[in-house]
Amino acid sequence: MTGPKSLESRTKHIRETWAKRCNKVPCMSSVETDFPTVKLNVSEGRENLYWKTIRAFQYIHQHHLDEADWFLKADDDTFAVVENLRYTLCRYDPLKPLYLGRRFTPFISQGYMSGGAGYVLSKEALRRFVEGFDTGKCTHFSTIEDMALGKCMETMKVEPADSRDSKRRQTFHPYPPDYDLIRQFPRSRPWYLIYDHYPPTGVDCQSSVRSDALKRA
Amino acid sequence: MKALGSRFSFCAGFVVGTFTLYVFLRQVCFERTLSAQQASSSDQLHDHQLEEERTIWKKDRSALFNLKHPHHTDEDSSLADELYKKVRILCWVMTGPNNLEKKARHVKSTWSRHCNVVVFMSSVDDPDFPTVGLGTKEGRDQLYWKTIRAFHYAYEHHSNEADWFLKADDDTYVIVDNLRWVLSNHTPEEPIYFGRRFKPYTKQGYMSGGAGYVLSKEALRRFVEGFKSKLCTHTTSVEDLAMGQCMEKVGVLAGDSRDTVHRETFHPFVPEQHLTAKFPKSFWYWSYCYYPISEGPNCCSDVSVSFHYVDASHMYLLEYYTYHLRAFGYRYRYQPPTPLGYNIEQSSSRAAAEEKKELTSQEKGQGEGDDPSRTDKRQGVDPPPAAGKDPPAVPSGK
Repeated sequence: MTGPKSLESRTKHIRETWAKRCNKVPCMSSVETDFPTVKLNVSEGRENLYWKTIRAFQYIHQHHLDEADWFLKADDDTFAVVENLRYTLCRYDPLKPLYLGRRFTPFISQGYMSGGAGYVLSKEALRRFVEGFDTGKCTHFSTIEDMALGKCMETMKVEPADSRDSKRRQTFHPYPPDYDLIRQFPRSRPWYLIYDHYPPTGVDCQSSVRSDALKRA
Repeated sequence: MKALGSRFSFCAGFVVGTFTLYVFLRQVCFERTLSAQQASSSDQLHDHQLEEERTIWKKDRSALFNLKHPHHTDEDSSLADELYKKVRILCWVMTGPNNLEKKARHVKSTWSRHCNVVVFMSSVDDPDFPTVGLGTKEGRDQLYWKTIRAFHYAYEHHSNEADWFLKADDDTYVIVDNLRWVLSNHTPEEPIYFGRRFKPYTKQGYMSGGAGYVLSKEALRRFVEGFKSKLCTHTTSVEDLAMGQCMEKVGVLAGDSRDTVHRETFHPFVPEQHLTAKFPKSFWYWSYCYYPISEGPNCCSDVSVSFHYVDASHMYLLEYYTYHLRAFGYRYRYQPPTPLGYNIEQSSSRAAAEEKKELTSQEKGQGEGDDPSRTDKRQGVDPPPAAGKDPPAVPSGK
């Protein structure tokens, strides 16, 4: 998920680093450029995030459904270790309606996946997402992309799967590594730890398998 | 009417006053309990840290002696453990009283745990940290005095407890296990020292101070002798250059610390800068480096030893990237040759036994595949890579 302003400052670097390890990398923007990006018929801005997501998934469903088993949505400030993502996914069946990411509890009864940390839809989940919008079961009822997508997933009976490693440590992270790695003086629990669906394991909070959001200037 | 009005205003005033007082007092009480809570949990944190340190170090004579080579549960560090026993390193960290909490403490919690002995050198004695007081003042102009005294101290008090003597700053991050690999094909009786080699001002070059440098026991002995015989003196406060000049005078060789494919291992900047920054051609770095500079990923060996200008949080990050994070499914692409004389058979038989154990436990859960031991074990078993068709290139001084 990107936009014309951050092609040079961010998306280019993604393309030169971790995106090489994906099977396919469409960059979704509001306009078409030589970069190359896919033009979605939306404007820029945080309030259009969900529109962009909907259009992006519809585009992928139309053009690339058979080229992959899993569909990862990432921001242009997310860093993903793709091999580790494959390792996490290999125990799940892409023909089942599943999606994975950093699971949060509020607002949706089955929970939803954090947008910034990135999330992955199985092929069946993507089909159902697009079907939901085709049949009107899912609508653009909110601009909060991750929560709204979570609601649609729930409506279409797509289950959230557990992305933690065998020692129950998180693999998707909504913040850069140093946020959780460094022992800090007690502070009021940051929002994302309060939102977490699974209980923290304590000191060993981070798995060596990861995909996370990196805020870079 | 008037009486009613005045009674009413009295009551209203009383209520408002009580309410204000209540809110004010509650705020004060809340803040007091909050700070008490914070104080007690920061005490808890402090105690926890002390407890941890007691299991890692033995404090003795202002030095920290490592009780055991740190490793994680289920980790196969057999080759690292062997190197730990055979290549003993004393790390001394240049610091000062103002930096103990800001910087030195983080060095203590991260990479220095991998040294055999750690000594923090300061201008002032501090028995609790602990630091050694060198009797100098603080400041950049004191750097060489501090270095001279620190090495003399290490020689007088610890020359039997280590084979190699590393100098690092409190903003240097060192991967000590990789340093052992660089040193493993040399003996402490050789008059040699290693670091990031610079070329100007000296014939054989000198080692960058910030990136850290390591002297063999013989080199240290010659350094101390050099000062006794006045061959070496405090020539300049530019510590690394002065060190290099002394080393040259006493016949200590400036070693080549690069790996077998000629990538640098000691780095004067943080990884981000070596990897991504475009140094302008006018920058001093270009004319100083002894060996040709590579920009981009080839700048830095996969078995890099040190980085400089690393701040506190960066230390923990590097520790995580070095000892934890990795991409699943790869054996390390760069297999540096196992040092001569190290027991590969021992680690391979142990590896075979562990593999059997792992296979049975794997039946329990499919997700159990997070199996660091399996991938890492193979490192010990592998013969030197085909790339090293020539005999394992021994990093030697030229």
